[in-house]
Amino acid sequence: MRVAVLGAGAVGARTCRQLVTGEVVTELVVREHRAGRRSDVVTSLGEPARADEADYDAPLDVDAVVVTGPAGTQAPLARTFLRRGLPVVTTADGVEDMRALLALDAEARERGITVVAGAGMAPGLTDVLAALGARRLTAVDEVHVSKCGTAGPACAREHHRALGGHSVDWRDGGWSERPGGSGRELHWFPDPVGAKDCYRGALPDALTLVPTFPGVARVTARMAATRRDRLTARLPMLRRPHPEAGPGAVRVELRGTVGEGRAVVVFGAMDRPSVAAGAVAAQAVEWLLAGRMNRSGVAGLGELVAPGPFLAELAARGVRCAIFEGDGADPLPQPSPAGK
Amino acid sequence: MKMLRRALIALGLAGMIAAVLRLRGTGGAPPTDGGWRELGPDELD
Repeated sequence: MRVAVLGAGAVGARTCRQLVTGEVVTELVVREHRAGRRSDVVTSLGEPARADEADYDAPLDVDAVVVTGPAGTQAPLARTFLRRGLPVVTTADGVEDMRALLALDAEARERGITVVAGAGMAPGLTDVLAALGARRLTAVDEVHVSKCGTAGPACAREHHRALGGHSVDWRDGGWSERPGGSGRELHWFPDPVGAKDCYRGALPDALTLVPTFPGVARVTARMAATRRDRLTARLPMLRRPHPEAGPGAVRVELRGTVGEGRAVVVFGAMDRPSVAAGAVAAQAVEWLLAGRMNRSGVAGLGELVAPGPFLAELAARGVRCAIFEGDGADPLPQPSPAGK
Repeated sequence: MKMLRRALIALGLAGMIAAVLRLRGTGGAPPTDGGWRELGPDELD
């Protein structure tokens, strides 16, 4: 199978690496506007990768496209290639990109093509964890996602913008916007990340999770940040972002019912965000090429894949997930075959 | 002198209240087990 990866930043390069080490992709086309970066990545990958100097939106003779560019570029490229009849995997993490992608759902369904909206660590891995957690509950009332850390410079810039924007939360059947940097909560991520203060931000997670869980009452997303992050969120970035940040983590908390009682399930994962995002995106495109997606159209991964098998294969790629067991005083709800 | 006496009474009362709360508190030892556990293959069927 032939795959094109648009953008060879931190996540794009990791996606390429995952794809060339798998057995599905026989030809990998890498498009990147920075000639030096493009050459470096393709040289390090070796066969079957090849550099393509064309513009990102130029026609491609491939079986699927992975869009890994910065926020604001993902939805237009996905729309372009969808209209050329190609399935697309995006690593979108911006609110506007996600809204524009989800608006293509009807068109993609009509064409019988699948577009993955957000195949990174968050959204992406978090959507799959939420779908897995729902299997332990009779009904899901609330989903709360939080994330810590960034991948490459583009992700760090989006992180900065998100903290200065407005959150997009789902509350009792309607969308609610609150200022970024508000709503501090202390969240425990898997070790060694540990406890971090998390705040509201312009994060797109609720946009994909609400359609995945019809009838859900509350969906929120928060991001870990420091006091300096909050203070400077509405200013330009004061220094250049790191080429690659350190360890990051995600946490997904589901609240709902099991039988007559209330229950809470908490899943998490810890990894370098670019590594985890690259693995999720690569696996998403391999599932897409193998026809393993649940439906055509545009949706988050939680709606498109069987969560258990997806996470099992992801664990084989080195991205392992964990469950929070608390102090063991309350028995955890167990997976139910009858659950969603 | 009057103000000093009032301050001392206030400090004494605060100390007594703190002592009562400290002695009657039911904090106990924090949990030493539980926490995060990696998902096993049987949980990913």
